Amino acid sequence: MILGHTMRLYFKLIGIRVRAQMQYRLSFWVDLAGTGLATGVEFLTLAAVFGRFGSIGGWSLGEVAFLYGLVETAFATMDMIFSGFDPDFFSQQVRRGTFDQMLLRPVSLPLQIFASEFLLRRIGRMAQGLAVWGFSLTLTHIAWTPAKLLYLPVVTVSTVAFFGGLFVAGAALCFYTVQSIEAVNIFTYGGTYMLSYPMHIYDEWFRRFFIYIVPSALLVYYPALFFLDKPDPLGLPSFAPFLAPLAGFGTLLAAFALWWVGVRRYTSTGT
Amino acid sequence: MLATYAALARLAFQRYLAYRTANLAGLATNAFFGALRAYILIALFGAQTHVAGYSVQGAVTYTGLTQMLLAYLPLYGWWELMLTIQTGEIAADLSRPVDFFLYWLAQDVGRAACQFVMRGLPILALYALFYSLALPPTPWHAAAFVVSLVLALLVSFAWRFLVSLSAFWTPDARGVGRTAWTVAIVLSGFMMPVAFFPPWAEALMRLTPFPSLINTEVEIYLGIVGGPALLGALAGQLFWFLALAALSRLVLAAGVKKLVIQGG
Repeated sequence: MILGHTMRLYFKLIGIRVRAQMQYRLSFWVDLAGTGLATGVEFLTLAAVFGRFGSIGGWSLGEVAFLYGLVETAFATMDMIFSGFDPDFFSQQVRRGTFDQMLLRPVSLPLQIFASEFLLRRIGRMAQGLAVWGFSLTLTHIAWTPAKLLYLPVVTVSTVAFFGGLFVAGAALCFYTVQSIEAVNIFTYGGTYMLSYPMHIYDEWFRRFFIYIVPSALLVYYPALFFLDKPDPLGLPSFAPFLAPLAGFGTLLAAFALWWVGVRRYTSTGT
Repeated sequence: MLATYAALARLAFQRYLAYRTANLAGLATNAFFGALRAYILIALFGAQTHVAGYSVQGAVTYTGLTQMLLAYLPLYGWWELMLTIQTGEIAADLSRPVDFFLYWLAQDVGRAACQFVMRGLPILALYALFYSLALPPTPWHAAAFVVSLVLALLVSFAWRFLVSLSAFWTPDARGVGRTAWTVAIVLSGFMMPVAFFPPWAEALMRLTPFPSLINTEVEIYLGIVGGPALLGALAGQLFWFLALAALSRLVLAAGVKKLVIQGG
């Protein structure tokens, strides 16, 4: 009942944002194509030079494209849905005092932040990610089973949740510094770059950090091993590829817990 | 006159010096990306020792040099001049008793010097801590590398100046800018050395001014070019600076002629 009302309100508010962005139709499409190009060149460059090398850490171009496609699609989806929590955007809200206004309204706080921004142009990056993902499927000939077909959307949604957790945690930091933290960029933008390549090319301490502390490897690399029927060169238990939902939603929940602590401690900047 | 430009450069240097925390945070991101790029190139080489004139050590050094130059050349974008056209501030700048192109160039030299010291050198120092970097094979290469760094800044500035002028004609100049910076990032050899691309792509890239931004310095530093070709590489950079600067002046003249500023 209340959930239904919340969702109706959310979609109404998002609908307004979307309509506003579509007012300048040409600008919107140019922006969309520009974003697609700007993010797509990364994979195009790799594909262009790959012929000289043949493989990376024993993985073919198609297999790397699977990682890249999953990461980019999930990140871009998150970037759109969690636009309001983007530390760059959210820190402005705090500094300008718009966040204070939200605290006064009798509507759920996360709902207001989710509805405060919704950047439709992220679809450009999403389309680019999906294109590379599709390209990987034509090259890798995955042996599809019902389990894989069922697990693929679960992994994608979990990865969206994981990246969302990073944004929410970054937004939580805004309460303490009133400045957006560039360190968060290391985990978000740096993270997508890192996860586009097989984890075993990195040093052990590096990999450990991204399995046990920030569990990003459990979201992308391990599930990819399952889909591509590859052995685990790092020797984690055989259930490791199936920890993605736990790691993804666990990160998101932990981040929201941190964020609420920030909200309770928050004293306005006075602007 | 020279003293005016020197003062402009010095002021820009000091202005950029003010962003200390931002510099530090940017440095951490640069270093992280640098480490990833080194991992990726080492893994791509795998068992191969040499690819297209690059050794593994050369490839790691390449990532260090490119990360060092990222802020110096601002490859990720530059909006200062474009903003002054969009806001109309340019009217005041045009009426100053200095050459408009040199007015901006002097300030960009100050900016570049500051970012080279604050962002570039620390990255190189971090690299030297973690990797055994290649050194230029001869003192001549080292000297040519320094000259090449300066020329690269000039080419980069002329390109950024030219792209910014698009704001005279279109309200969507930011989109033009974003596309232009992306093109430069790929074709300059920032993402991957130009020599790694398929021969046809490499040949096309070398016809553009963009390898003069990054690839030329790297090839000089690593000794991939030497002898007469070394002078040719420097001459190529100089040519592109002069060509883009001449084009910029033409476009600027056309833009100013069209410009109407509302009096206030």
